[in-house]
Amino acid sequence: MIKLTIRAAALATAAALTIGAASAADDAAEREARWSDLRQSVFGDRKVEQADLLSLDTPVRAEDAALVPVTIQTADPSAIKSTTLIIDDNPSPVAAKVTFGPAGDPSVMKLRVRVNTYTNIHAVAETNDGRLVETTKFVKASGGCSAPVGASDEEAMKGMGEIRLRVRDDVTPGKTATATLMIRHPNFSGMQMDQLTRAYTPARYLKTIKVTYNDKDVFTLDGDISISSNPVIEFGFRPDAKGQIKVAATDTDDGRWEKTFDVPTQSN
Amino acid sequence: MRGVVIAAVVAAAFAFAAQAGGPGSAPEPDGLWRGALAGYTPSTLKGATVVDAAAVARLVDKGDALLLDVGPADRKPETLPETALWRPQHRSIPGAVWLPGAGPGDLPPEQEAALKARIVTLADGDLRRPVVTFCKPDCWGSWNLGKRLLGWGFTSVHWFPGGINGWLEADRPSTVVRTDPDWEAATKPPADR
Repeated sequence: MIKLTIRAAALATAAALTIGAASAADDAAEREARWSDLRQSVFGDRKVEQADLLSLDTPVRAEDAALVPVTIQTADPSAIKSTTLIIDDNPSPVAAKVTFGPAGDPSVMKLRVRVNTYTNIHAVAETNDGRLVETTKFVKASGGCSAPVGASDEEAMKGMGEIRLRVRDDVTPGKTATATLMIRHPNFSGMQMDQLTRAYTPARYLKTIKVTYNDKDVFTLDGDISISSNPVIEFGFRPDAKGQIKVAATDTDDGRWEKTFDVPTQSN
Repeated sequence: MRGVVIAAVVAAAFAFAAQAGGPGSAPEPDGLWRGALAGYTPSTLKGATVVDAAAVARLVDKGDALLLDVGPADRKPETLPETALWRPQHRSIPGAVWLPGAGPGDLPPEQEAALKARIVTLADGDLRRPVVTFCKPDCWGSWNLGKRLLGWGFTSVHWFPGGINGWLEADRPSTVVRTDPDWEAATKPPADR
């Protein structure tokens, strides 16, 4: 009798383990099917290669689903024309497309995104010779797209359009320098609800962020509702002997903001 | 007019008070909660068992528990460009029945009747069937559904306040689910709460 019970328990455990394993496999297959469908929607029938061109750095488990830091890096910056960031299981999956210009350096780009549920994140580079190359990471976070921005909409919109820039490195002509750009903007996703009125705050998000150095393009970012509020973007640029960085941003309500910063070069 | 304003101020003050204490700090209302669904809930539901992810997993393993997810559907922003992809994914516990929009305390009577009929059918008419209600943390929807089930005579009601977040954080398997078709038909146009 006791023996039988133990055997039954062992069988039940085995069954439970099988079910667990099966659903994990199903889950992976579902995610792959989803990506293949998304890839088709974004890039059509073009082949997307899996090669070591890009690397994607994300936290395994995000502390704040509305502020998930993402770092996209490449060892071959001169090959890259643009990078598209896709958060597979976000309701609006295409988070950003970043197109690099002659004064830009795609070696490192950091930004912060909203993640709605446990999902794969894909970065897909388009190379100057027309290839598409992907890389992916799995992130554990949920609820980022509908998490409220600040205590009230009014507070969230305070100082909207304020632009700040910090050049992080000593600037040497011809050598890539890193800068951090901060734009105050709630980037309302349209999925956030005011707790008291139970009304949804209409979507209002940054559509384009264009950065130039001495009138040469550094990068243009086409954004979406998955970019976190008050975007912080770290990027590389190639300075001349002396110059200015201009940042121009537009949002979906025809908001336009612009600011120019002097970039002092190291004098030695 | 003035009465409305005062009522709104009182409601706002009450909602604020309910927010003040932290997760699980709200007192149990006598009936269904009719305020905003997002906000701190009580930590108890009189007549029901409050469960965590491990307890839900044990109920799932026994095989006869009915899992009811009242997590909200992602609401499509009106101002997205037409070309933007819109592919919301609702992740839930495998086997769960998703009933988006079934959480409000003030459901229209015909929807409430449809909800009851659907759940009784799902339980094969057995009111002793273990039922688990969940959505996400700080969500009154699953509390309200648990309260309703008790009112309808269900005797083994389990409320899982950690919801899908608690389930995922415990590294349990999950899957993408579609709205229960019967519930969808009963609530057309699709509820977005």
